Amino acid sequence: MSEKVKVTNLVKTFGDNEVLKGINLTVQKNEVVVIIGPSGSGKSTLLRNLNKLEEPTSGSIVIDNVDIARNDVDINAVRENIGMVFQHFNLFKNLSVGENIMLAPVELKKQTKDKAAIQAKQLLKTVGLEEKFDATVQSLSGGQQQRVAIARALAMNPDIMLFDEPTSALDPEMVGDVLAVMKDLAKQGMTMVVVTHEMGFAKEVADRVVFVDDGQILEEGTPEQIFEHPKNERLQDFLNKILNV
Amino acid sequence: MKRKVLMAFGLLAAFATILFCLALPGSQAQAKTYQIGTDVTYPPFEFANKNNKYVGIDIDIIKSIAKEEGFKVNVKPVGFNAAVQSVQSGQLDGIIAGMTITPERKDKFDFGTPYYKTGAVMAVKKGSDITSFKQLKGKKVALKTGTAAADYANSLKKKYGFKTVTFDDSDNIYQDVTTGNSVACFDDQPVLQYGIKHGLKLQIASKPANQGWYGFGVKKGTHKALIKKFNAGLKKIQANGTYDKIVGKYLGTANNSKVKGKTFTIGTDVTFPPFEFANKNNKYVGIDMDLIRAIANEQGFKVKIKALGFNAAVQAVESGQADGVIAGMSITNERKAQFDFSKPYFNSGVVMAVAQNSKIHKLSELRGKRVAVKTGTSGADYANSIKKKYGFKVVTFDDSNNMYADVSTGNSVACFEDHPVMQYAIKQGTKLKIVTKPALNAPYGFAVKKGHNQALLQAFNQGLADLKASGTYDSIKAKYLGADEIKTAAKTSGNDAEDRTFIGLIKQNKGALLSGLQETLWLTVVSIFFATIFGVLVGLMGVVPNKFSQGTSTTLIYLFRGMPLLVLALFIYTGIPSLTGQKIPAFVAGVVTLTFNEGAYIAAFVKGGIQAVDPGQMEASRSLGLPFGKAMRKVILPQGIRIMVPSFINQFIITLKDTSILSIIGLLELTQTGKIIIARNLEGFKVWTIVAAIYLIIITVLTWLSNWVQRRTKV
Ligand SMILES: Nc1ncnc2c1ncn2[C@@H]1O[C@H](COP(=O)(O)OP(=O)(O)OP(=O)(O)O)[C@@H](O)[C@H]1O
Ligand SMILES: [Mg+2]
Repeated sequence: MSEKVKVTNLVKTFGDNEVLKGINLTVQKNEVVVIIGPSGSGKSTLLRNLNKLEEPTSGSIVIDNVDIARNDVDINAVRENIGMVFQHFNLFKNLSVGENIMLAPVELKKQTKDKAAIQAKQLLKTVGLEEKFDATVQSLSGGQQQRVAIARALAMNPDIMLFDEPTSALDPEMVGDVLAVMKDLAKQGMTMVVVTHEMGFAKEVADRVVFVDDGQILEEGTPEQIFEHPKNERLQDFLNKILNV
Repeated sequence: MKRKVLMAFGLLAAFATILFCLALPGSQAQAKTYQIGTDVTYPPFEFANKNNKYVGIDIDIIKSIAKEEGFKVNVKPVGFNAAVQSVQSGQLDGIIAGMTITPERKDKFDFGTPYYKTGAVMAVKKGSDITSFKQLKGKKVALKTGTAAADYANSLKKKYGFKTVTFDDSDNIYQDVTTGNSVACFDDQPVLQYGIKHGLKLQIASKPANQGWYGFGVKKGTHKALIKKFNAGLKKIQANGTYDKIVGKYLGTANNSKVKGKTFTIGTDVTFPPFEFANKNNKYVGIDMDLIRAIANEQGFKVKIKALGFNAAVQAVESGQADGVIAGMSITNERKAQFDFSKPYFNSGVVMAVAQNSKIHKLSELRGKRVAVKTGTSGADYANSIKKKYGFKVVTFDDSNNMYADVSTGNSVACFEDHPVMQYAIKQGTKLKIVTKPALNAPYGFAVKKGHNQALLQAFNQGLADLKASGTYDSIKAKYLGADEIKTAAKTSGNDAEDRTFIGLIKQNKGALLSGLQETLWLTVVSIFFATIFGVLVGLMGVVPNKFSQGTSTTLIYLFRGMPLLVLALFIYTGIPSLTGQKIPAFVAGVVTLTFNEGAYIAAFVKGGIQAVDPGQMEASRSLGLPFGKAMRKVILPQGIRIMVPSFINQFIITLKDTSILSIIGLLELTQTGKIIIARNLEGFKVWTIVAAIYLIIITVLTWLSNWVQRRTKV
């Protein structure tokens, strides 16, 4: 096992509001890390710092031995290796399903159009939507859109995937399909950082679970440690709340 | 912040220069021509006559002086205030606009020798009992902005406690009084006199005050040579009688001998140029009109002209409603049964006219060719009666101008027209020449009901003889027909009427309206083109992640959207030249104005449209590694543009409408055209209805077009 991501003393403030208060987090290659925590605790902000959708205020974020928190890195090149999946899918509404997946590889000259199309069809197959290549985004259900979004992120062949509550905007019956795709990815050894409230997924797939509250990591460990033997009082409260709803 | 503003101005200047260079091929070609500003309508000093040609005492004087002194003038009726400002900004070289010489104005202008004496007077509605300023207390008084008379009124305002309303031109202040909105108006004495003499329903109610002189002005310290030439020329035309002739032409010589003091009602045709037609004050002029008035003047009676239309006028005389008729009426045996005719005062006849460079000069040369006529005229009757014999084809037009144009463009080789009408048209600039002697000769006469009004008939004959003797008769004819040939004949049923129905007005002013519309459309298209470029650039500057560029964008939008279009237009047209010393043609100034103003709105909705795209779209694009520019082009803009399309269409329509505001800088677009037509015929309601309808039609067509485009882009 080798270190893929190493976050040290990461601080992020919005104006006077210190949202991340010194985060230290390491993600190993092929590891699946699930981040849990109450709303507003800074989970999304942490995730978005990892591909610099947010500019870190201080601290370092080393990915593959490069500190991306510094200003002199080519952030576009870094992002090519980090796929991201959003709560609200964010598929490009002006493009078809196929075009959504092909856009980045073609525009960034990774692939010719033809090859990108072949790859896009393959990716669609792996998420179970091979017949939707020409469909418009608007014609898809939420679950289908999220699976296309995953395929789109995979099209750049990233070695890290970030998921920010990928299922929380979905109708319950669609959640399973998306989680299944994510499980497959994990099995294939993808390095993944997943923010989710799906505790079942965390228990089954996560190598490690991280509990974030008020901009700090209060506890981390295996799913068993976190869910069966939580030590931190706030984590116990949090688990009580979500498991008893 | 200061830097941003500076930058904005820099941009503005650069843009203006680009436009200036683009849209200005050879506008400064004629070097020694002076640009002289004048008022839009200030009779008798300047006004557009029926052919949209500017005439008047000022115009005639400056033109005579120019001729005398060997320079050229380009007289621009931009309005009094615009002319004053344009001279100050260097857009124009001089101003002659019934401008009173005042000490304040002397600070800014150098004046030539005073050329006309004037004074400010108060006028009230005809029949009003107001005779002193005291009676104005608490009432409303109409003034024309920037005039000496307005200054005078303002100096009385406090003392007599009246309120003032100001208008941009004389017609409006008169109308405000005749409609009763205001109880009085102040204007220069000769102007009011002329207006009243020509049918304005006002009366002068005060002695001339603040007497002063009109002067020709240039910007202080500039154009010394022009002033010198003006003074020298003025001296010459005053010495050789031209000056008196000019003043006499517009104000009339008021010397009458045998005053009988009676008023006669005279019927005439509505429009039969050059015999009778309404000039811009809705006052009837023409050979018949000038003649009957000159005779009345000379014989000491008064006439009340009723433009009833030919047939109605004839019937009015028969029924005793009118005392006489003068309407280009041919003396025929049938008519002699009902009327007593004067001695013939004019001989008309049908002539053939050809293009100026044509070699045709005989009817026999028309074989196999095309000949143009106007429907219902004696020229058409004549042409049809001889077309078999000479073997030509006849093509018919509804409108004299089209008929003339058909000949001057060479589509037809000749046209047939009443001799005086043709002469008049040629004098007004129609590029044709008359090549045959008048045919179908018939004399015109003044008529009274048989056995009635014999005194009037005799006075007419006497007056006619006197006028012929004094040369006035000839000069009246020359005024309308040109000086060269004055002899002739014909008969026409004066039913060629200029009617004041909508269709009539459209027909008469078709040319002017069309060229106004063309100017409006051209302005719109050019402006929207540049405004789109400007707006898209500024809009995009507003969304790139750079504080400076966003600030610039916000500032530009704030500046140009915050400034009223009217102010912006005046600022660019008169302000920029003052700053840079570089003239801007009105059209370019108009385009620059619209570019900035409409561009700012476009920038705002381009910015808004882009910002309205879900930010998640940008985040998703960037998270894939796409650079900002690519993400913008491939993902954000295509979605933003879809949001913007309706705003673009809307803006196009707004731009078209906003061009009307540019009439303020004297652009002859549709609205300004309307103003000038109304200044002439006072058919405000009808002409504005026509103008409004034209705008609506164009906008409807545009809307259809854009809906179609929108439907296509939706796919
Ligand atoms: N762009 C921003 N500007 C200012 N404050 C922000 C911004 N983004 C997030 N915040 C604030 O940072 C805090 C953490 O937000 P974040 O979205 O990271 O929480 P979260 O743990 O993801 O919550 P949730 O479970 O509701 O998604 C919140 O108080 C939020 O208001
Ligand atoms: Mg979140």
